[in-house]
Amino acid sequence: MPYMLLAPAVVVTVFIVFMPMVQAVVTSFYDLILWKPNASRFVGFGNYVKLFADPVFWTALWNTVIWIGLTVPLQMGLGLLTALLLNREFPWRGLARALIIIPWALPSVVIALMWRWIYDPNTGVLNDILIYLSIVQSAVPWLADPNLALYAVIATLTWQGFPFFAVMILAGLQGIPKSQYEAASIDGASSWRQFVHITLPGIAPVLATAGLLRVIWVANSMDVIFVMTGGGPGYATHTLPLYAFVRARQNLDFGYGTAIAVTFTILLGAIVAVYLARTMREVER
Amino acid sequence: MTNLRKFSIGVALATTLLAGSASAETVRFWYHFDNPENPMADLVAKFEAANPGITIEAENVPWNSYYDTLYTSLVGGNAPDAAMVKLFAQPRLVEMGALEPIGDKIDAWPGKTDLLDNLLELNKGPDGQQYYLPIQYVTLYLYYRTDLFEQAGLKPPTTCEEFRDAAIKLTKAPTTYGFGLRGGKGGWDQWGAFVLSQGGELKPGGLTNEKAVAANQWLIDLFQKDKVIPPSAPNDGFQEITGAFKAGTTAMTIHHIGSSNDMVKALGDKVSAVPVPECGGNRWTSYGDESLAVFSASEAKDAAWKWISFLAEGENNVAFNKATGQMTVTKSGSENWNLHERRFVEATVQSLPFAHVLPQTPATSEFVNTAWQTAMQQALTGQITSQQMMEQLEALFAQ
Repeated sequence: MPYMLLAPAVVVTVFIVFMPMVQAVVTSFYDLILWKPNASRFVGFGNYVKLFADPVFWTALWNTVIWIGLTVPLQMGLGLLTALLLNREFPWRGLARALIIIPWALPSVVIALMWRWIYDPNTGVLNDILIYLSIVQSAVPWLADPNLALYAVIATLTWQGFPFFAVMILAGLQGIPKSQYEAASIDGASSWRQFVHITLPGIAPVLATAGLLRVIWVANSMDVIFVMTGGGPGYATHTLPLYAFVRARQNLDFGYGTAIAVTFTILLGAIVAVYLARTMREVER
Repeated sequence: MTNLRKFSIGVALATTLLAGSASAETVRFWYHFDNPENPMADLVAKFEAANPGITIEAENVPWNSYYDTLYTSLVGGNAPDAAMVKLFAQPRLVEMGALEPIGDKIDAWPGKTDLLDNLLELNKGPDGQQYYLPIQYVTLYLYYRTDLFEQAGLKPPTTCEEFRDAAIKLTKAPTTYGFGLRGGKGGWDQWGAFVLSQGGELKPGGLTNEKAVAANQWLIDLFQKDKVIPPSAPNDGFQEITGAFKAGTTAMTIHHIGSSNDMVKALGDKVSAVPVPECGGNRWTSYGDESLAVFSASEAKDAAWKWISFLAEGENNVAFNKATGQMTVTKSGSENWNLHERRFVEATVQSLPFAHVLPQTPATSEFVNTAWQTAMQQALTGQITSQQMMEQLEALFAQ
């Protein structure tokens, strides 16, 4: 009986999650270019061999590492700071808490377009302010400079994602009993020591879970990059999911595109497994 | 009881509707208009009134992913019956076996004689069959700011040398730049005016020859050394180049008549156009074509043909072009053409003798869709040399 009741959920999961996954793995073993349907053939690990020799793959992999490695900690740091501020007593706190969620609630495409205009060297407000303050002499082409473009997009994504951390951490903060702080201050602990020994351990499970979710989301998200730069200039903002998308959907090279996607899934899966094993052990301790 | 009665009436109604639509045909049609106020609904209503029994489902598909969506839907078996298509896509579509030959239908169609000369010849498929019915055209020309040129005592450039000279004189960075280059998606047609005019050809050996590499270097130098192109160029698309020109940030840019009404709205008499400059004794500009095609998988081919031929006829075609801002393909429509200011029509017509389409090979799609912009961006930002860029692009056409 219990299996019968579980069956519908299992069937749905198998069909909409596992079947496409298996199909993607199968596709990656084929030389499948969509506009040459008759030339499709089985090539085994051919696409993977090609992939490891492809300089764009390594560029994209490195960009992905920077992309995740900077975005998630920045979001977490900014979120933590915001949560600590929002946890204090001040007038209109309810309103501030509601407003802080706006970047998170906006659709990615809207955010991407908005920031594209902010960064625009000819009409953008960011350059205007920087020139007015004499920080730069002439407009900086934020998204057209290969050394800056990735960081400019990371800044955008940080802004978009920090409210998620802020809200999660705020919830965690409110779960810490007030009595612990009272006891600590009676013992003469400074606010810094209170933060390190009470606040941080109190929100550690939240940080671990939210961090994990964000790593996966940020790693997979390419909509903001796609709208802001399309992966350019050159390959400067290509991350692996974006590269897979460009190959599969724009060049219609589905065999190669899915090979990229499968490789990335394995890499991300490995990182997530290690992360889970380590942080969850820490948290449970 | 009342509920039950309502329900049975509903069922009866639904059955009649189903029966009704079974005898009618539905044509799914895809198009792409930049113009948000598009009068497609009027054309559909007019057609449906004249052809009872045919329903048109016209869908405006966003341009940036138009072909991605079209190819995938064709393979996925969910393609429209007819769609707007460009020449560069024809070889791929033919290779996929997706197109329905319409040569016989065109021959039997009274509108054929009203089409401008040579258009059907230009639109022929790679295998000599006729799949495309022309619907509109443009040629790329050079927009320039008449007032800025006058102040600087300059004449609109006719050669690449004059063009560079004018661009340098008009550049007063960071407020004004000589030329707005489209380094992002879709910029290959501007690039063509400078590189494909000087010996560059999209074929093996056609891009890595000395002349073509030098021509490409010349264009890169305009950005890197002469600095007459805004620093944002590598990421700039249509919105950015027309926006910068309208805002007065650039004094020249290359686009077609489709943007002329907007330009006039922003700049009035201060904007005009001439054909692109002659480079190395030769001119090349892009012939911007747009055609309609019926797909072979369609179950309503005759109805689809009726609809697309309707759009290519005299006044319907004029109404269609009113929406897209481009030029009609009919002789009757051209006679009293008043949708654009005269000077832009003249620049367009003067450009026709040296207007070209890209070669019809399957690699052209990749060149247009992704390869050109990636290579150009890398070259403009100094990550690769002109030679390397041309090698990368030529590799596409090597197969």
